[in-house]
Formats: sequence, structure tokens, C-alpha cells
Amino acid sequence: MGSVYRLTLRQLSGRWRLAIMTALAALPVLITLLTLASDDAPSVSDYESAILGAMLAGSILPLVVLAIGGAAFGNEVEDRTLANLTLAPIPRWQIALPKLLAVITVAGPFIAASAMLSAHIAFLGDGRATLAVTLAALAGVAMYASVFVFLGLRSSYAVGIGLLYIVIWEGFFSGFVSGVRLLSIRYYAIALMHALDPRRFADADSLPAVAAVVAAAIVTGGFFLLSVRRLRRMDVP
Amino acid sequence: MTATPSVADIRPTTCGFDADRASADAVIRVDGVSRWFGSVVAVSDVSFNITPGITGLLGPNGAGKTTLLRMITGLAAASTGTVTVFGEPVRDNPPLYRRMGVMSEHETVYGFMKGREFVRAMGKLRGVADLEGAVDRAIALVDLEDAQHRSMETYSRGMRQRMRLAATLVHDPDVLILDEPLNGADPRQRVHFKQLLLKLKSEGRTIVISSHILEEVEQLADNVLLIVNGKLAASGGFRAIRAALNQRPYHVRVVCAAPRELAAAVVTLPSVDAVHVDPDGAVVILSRNVLDLQVEIPRLAQRAGVSLRRVEPLDDSLESVFGYLVEG
Amino acid sequence: MTGTVFDIGYQHYTGPREGRGRSRRAVFTDGIRTALGLGRGGRAKILPWLFIGVLSAIALVMALVAGAANSFAGPGSAEKMNLPSHSDYNGIASIIMFVFAAVVGPELLCPDRRQGVIHLYRVRPFTGTDYIAARWAAFLAVTTLAVWLPQVILFLGLSMGDPAPMEYLRTHWLDIPKFLVAGIAMAAYAATLGLLTASFTTRRAYASVFLVGLFVISVPFTVGVAEETGGKLGEWISMFNLTNIPVHVNDIIFGEVSEVTEDAPARNLPPWVRVAWYFAWTIIPGTVLWARYRRLAP
Repeated sequence: MGSVYRLTLRQLSGRWRLAIMTALAALPVLITLLTLASDDAPSVSDYESAILGAMLAGSILPLVVLAIGGAAFGNEVEDRTLANLTLAPIPRWQIALPKLLAVITVAGPFIAASAMLSAHIAFLGDGRATLAVTLAALAGVAMYASVFVFLGLRSSYAVGIGLLYIVIWEGFFSGFVSGVRLLSIRYYAIALMHALDPRRFADADSLPAVAAVVAAAIVTGGFFLLSVRRLRRMDVP
Repeated sequence: MTATPSVADIRPTTCGFDADRASADAVIRVDGVSRWFGSVVAVSDVSFNITPGITGLLGPNGAGKTTLLRMITGLAAASTGTVTVFGEPVRDNPPLYRRMGVMSEHETVYGFMKGREFVRAMGKLRGVADLEGAVDRAIALVDLEDAQHRSMETYSRGMRQRMRLAATLVHDPDVLILDEPLNGADPRQRVHFKQLLLKLKSEGRTIVISSHILEEVEQLADNVLLIVNGKLAASGGFRAIRAALNQRPYHVRVVCAAPRELAAAVVTLPSVDAVHVDPDGAVVILSRNVLDLQVEIPRLAQRAGVSLRRVEPLDDSLESVFGYLVEG
Repeated sequence: MTGTVFDIGYQHYTGPREGRGRSRRAVFTDGIRTALGLGRGGRAKILPWLFIGVLSAIALVMALVAGAANSFAGPGSAEKMNLPSHSDYNGIASIIMFVFAAVVGPELLCPDRRQGVIHLYRVRPFTGTDYIAARWAAFLAVTTLAVWLPQVILFLGLSMGDPAPMEYLRTHWLDIPKFLVAGIAMAAYAATLGLLTASFTTRRAYASVFLVGLFVISVPFTVGVAEETGGKLGEWISMFNLTNIPVHVNDIIFGEVSEVTEDAPARNLPPWVRVAWYFAWTIIPGTVLWARYRRLAP
């Protein structure tokens, strides 16, 4: 497994990619600094919905994970190098798992750092709130990674489908139809954040803690299992 | 002239080896395998056994060779039928890959890796003991020690193929499946590759090569599998296949001092179908019984007082067999 | 053995050879077919037509809602209630348009470069300029279709939902040229940027995600920063909200601020500034795109 993990790390981290991710991770931090510097600071719920919700969870997080996660298997299928891995005498989950972990390893630190710094600054050093935001962000990374790694393996239109999901399903429809949230990774992550620090993020609207954790586990584990299954049954190019 | 037999007329001929023995020794068994993509049938009800030694898989483009090879290696599923290697189903059976080395026709490699890194990574994945030693041996086998520390992006096409071959050999597999391994190889590399394959064969391995380069396969392969339009058109030694194609007479070309006299004498033989004189003045004889010709031509020539300069078969090559079976 | 060459009947093409115009048309047509997935099997059609379907569905819903309002609360009430109409549509649909451009645009440029086919084009008397112009024109045609079709549906829906359709047509016929121009402005913007990002990479995935990221992330970023800074600087920062750039043009054409831009500080800038800004963001990327392909040697 180690070799697949290291190979994938090398495949996914290029100079340009890392530079762009750093820039993107810095954006929420910048805004948070600016909002704090100004005279009328927004309320917690405003900040949450605008910066954490829309910007970080809504766009930066899923898009970064889509680019990295979709490429994990997607590039191998496109370049026809996947057979190098599948022709090894190892069980298929030992191919899928290191791929997934590599995606989380590459995308995770940027997102986590971004979340942690923004929350730390915004909530004036409140440890629990910062931890809540960071853990929720990481849970989001894990969930999106699992879904997009599977998509990259399953379809050559992975990016189109992923973008449709992020922009239209999570972005557009959830604004109009609140039931959509029950099937939306973004809201599971946000619900986790609420659950981890209820004093600050009290919100009757979101999923209760247990449901959020279960949903996160089902999404991450479920799509991982789908990836393993696909590896076993697909025609490898 | 006899009519060209069409492929549909030819039933699969298995010739040149003992079927029972072959079955017992068979390393790779393909039984009733078909594969279709929607309404397109790529491989149609193919059955054969492959024993240790070198087997060539031949056929025109689009005949289904690559699909068949992919099913043998477990990369693709068969729509019906079974493929077993060493008695075990090859599909969804990762441990079997410890004994199999596969080189696909796609030439893409991880560009960011150095040659040695790539072979080493593939060796690691396949659980090779004494990794460094195995990598050294594999790279030495393909004669790329000088280039192994360079990035594979800088390699020529032939070098990339050879490094991929090293990666296929690093775990010392009993079975080697090579799809068009000589793509982009220059003549010197071809010679080296042939020697390598013969060496591997002498170690008791089972090697299957798919190729368009008929001369190579002719010289290397003990047995040949000919796939046309998804069906197995012939299997066995190519000479034996040729002999089995009784509908087609052999062409023998004779250069001599007095072609028309010889032609007049030869045409009286019952084993001769037709005789003509080609524009260069050589006699071309069509016959179904070359053995008889071998005896009769010198006798007739002597009787007619014609000195023979040259007698050569015009179609004793894989290419012509190929041609006969593929035409139509 | 003697060497002989056999005449197996190979013949040179002796028919008429058409000129550059024909090649341009061919690349143009191929671009449209690729973008819409025509002649490429069922799967290739799903994404582009799904987008067009969603865009049309939104227009349809808007028309139905307006029709319902008119029948319940009397004619003309839809307008009085300030329900979304043609000018709002462009703003609402803009993000979907941009994702469409980001996903479909790279299909037109990236595969040709990745697989080396672009060099085959250049072997013929067919310049890099011809190629990119034909591709851009094809993509513009497709994006324009994606913008105009829903607007036409909306117009038809509104006029038929109105109790007096002919009256509606008479009073509102000016909407048609307005939404056509506003639509093509949006389409040109999306098409140019979509192709520009695609020209920088050979993997479609990266081009798509980068462009969408650019749009989606610039929105909350500029909104947030503009709000904090306020004043003239805030207005200019708000101009960097990439999704709004063509919508401002839309506003100017319709003469009213649409739903999407009503909070944007940038709306306070004079119209000529906003229009010039739009042209800058369309022409400069277009020029860069052209430059990247002009130098392509065979």
C-alpha cells in the first residue's frame, strides 16, 4: 500500500497545483482579517454563512478536492496506467485506500489550515470553535474525496458531474429547496461543525450530531466501497 | 485457378501438437470465450490451450487480439466462457498476478519517474524479495543500465518499451503476456529481444506474444493462434496450418535454362494443378503435393535436358498463410 | 527474388479541392458537434443537454409562476410584484452558464492538443488563427443557444400565460432584441473565458475546475471585501465579481438593476465604465487566446 500511496502523492502534487492551493487557502483567512479590521463585524451566523458556508465549504473545499480527487484515478484511467496497479497481486482495497488517503493528505492540510486560521482569527482564539471548524472541514475533505475518487474511477465525465453537483445541486437548488440539504455533503459538514460547538453555532435547522456523524461515515465509507467494487469489476484500460 | 477460400469456409484447424498432452500441460486455458460490446462482437466463441513455450497471437487489426489478450490477463471480463491460468480463474484473482507478467500495448508511463524507480515501484507492488537485486537483473536483461537513472520522459520510444519490459520481468513471472512488444523497436533491439525471449522460454516460461510482425513470430513462436474477425481461424505450427489448407495449392517457382520445355514436361504430372511462365521467364507451378514435386522436378528436368538454377516455394511463410486466411 | 510493385488500385483523389473556407467550416461544424455531443453516442450528450435542460427548466418555472400570479391576481400583477423576468433571468442563470462553459469548452480544445491531433490540422493550409477562430465561433454558437433558448421559452411562457397574449406581445416586443443582445454578451464572455482556460492545459478536468473556481470563489471574496471597504474602492472591488460582469451589461440594456446585481456596489459606477470593463474582460482574454494559438506550428 505504501508504494501506491507514495506514487499517488507524487502524481497529485505539482508545483502549480500546490501554489494554487496555497493561494486559495489564504483567501478565507484574508477576508476574515479584513472583516475583523473593519468597524462593524458581522454576526456569527453572517460570518458562518458567508465565509465558512459559501466560500470555504461551498466553493474552495469541494473544488480543490474535486481537482485532486478526480485526478487520483481519473488521470490513471485517461493515461492508461491504471493496469500497472491492478496487475499487482494485492487486494483491490489496497489500491483504493492509499489513493483516497493520498488525496486527503494533499488537499487536507491546506483546507484544515485555512479553516483553522480563519476560525482562530474570527472567534478570537476560542479553541473549541476553532477545533469544531477544523474538524468539520476535514470531515468535508474526507467525504468529498471519497465521492470524487470514485467518480474519477467510474466516469470520464467525473469533473462535469462533480461540478454539476457542487454548483447546481449544493449551490443552486439548496438555496431554493431546503430538503436538498439532507442529501448534501456540504450540509453534513456544517452540521458536524454545529454539533461540535453548539454554544456558538446553535441552529435548530441542521442535522443532530449523531445523524451528521452517521451521514459522514456512510458517505465516506460507502463511496470507498463503491470504488473497491468498481476496481474489481471494471475493464481496466 | 481455384477460388479463394473465404474465412467462413475455414473451420478452426488445430494441428501440429498432441491435443491430449497439450490439455494436461496447459498453463492457460481459454474455453468458449466470447466478448461483445453492445451489438458488436469482438471475440466469438474462442477455445484453446496454451502450453509452456512461445505462442504467437496473430491477426489483422480489429480482429480481437487485444480484447482476447485482455481477457487472458483478467483486465477485461469475458461475456461468456472461462479463462484459467494455472487452473485458477484469472478474473478477480489478484494473487495470480504474482506469477504473471503483462505488458500492454499502451506506451504511457509515469513521466516523472526515472527508469529504475519505475521498475522498482512495479517490483515493490508485486512483492519481490531482494528488490534491488531483482531490479538490477531486470534492467540488465534489457540492457538499459546506462539510462536507468534518467527520467523516462527523456527516453526514446524503444527505450521506454524496454524499460516497461524490465518492469514486466522484475518479479520473475512464469507467464508472460506481451501485446505488441516490438512497437518502435529498431532492428538491433529486435534481435536482442528475440534472444531474450528464447532465453526466457528455455527457463520453462509460458510466453504469449501478440504481434503484427510476422517474420518475428515465425522465427520465435512454436505455436501460432490466428484470430480473424473475432474467431479462431487456425492454431498450431504455421507450417502445419499451411499443410492443412488443402484447398490452396502451393506455388513453386523454378528458374531454369529452358522454361517452356520444363513447363511442358511438368504439366503432365497429376499432382500439378497449373503451370505458367511469369514475365521474368521463370516457371510457376501450382501443386497440392510438394513432396511429389520435390522428386519429380529434378527427374523431369534431367530427362528434358534442362538445367535448373533455382527452385523456391513462393508461399512457405507465415505471411502467405496469414494472407490466405485473411482474404475474403 | 525480383522486386515488384503491384498496382492494387490506389488512386489519388482527383476531385475538386475546396479551399480554406471549407476547412474553417469543417472545424466550426465539428466544434458544434463536439460541444453538443452530436454524433458521439448517448453519453456525450448527457452533460451539455442536461445544462441546457436545467437552464430551460428555470425559465419555464419562471414563466409558470408569472402566469399563475397573473391568473390569480389579475393581469400585469407579475410585473407589479416584481417577479423575476427576462433581465433577472440572465443574472440567475449566469453561474450555470459559466459552469456549462467551463465543462464544455475544454472539450473543444484540450483533446486536440493532448492527442496531438492539432498538428494534423496544421499540415493543411489552415492556420492557427483559422482553427481558434472556428472553434470560438462554434462555442459561441452553442453558448448563445444555451442563453437564447430559455429566454425564448420564458417569453413564450409569459405571453401565453398572460390573459391577453397579443396585448402582451405588443407592449413587450422590445424585450426580444434586449434579451437577444444581453444574451449574446453573456455567451461571448462565457465562451471566451471557457476557451482561454482550456488553452492553458491539456487535461480538461483542470481547466474546468480552475474556471469554475475562479468564478465561484471570486463571488464571496469580492462581495465580502467590497462590503468591508466601501466607497469608490469597494465599487471597484465589486467589479471583480466575475459572474456579474456580463450581468451589468444586461442591466444597462434593460435599464433596470436585476435581482442579482441590486446589492452590488459596482452598480453605482457609470454605465460606460461597466460596459468598457465587460469589453476588457472579453477582448483581452480573446486576444490572449488567439495569441496562444496563432504561433502553433505544424
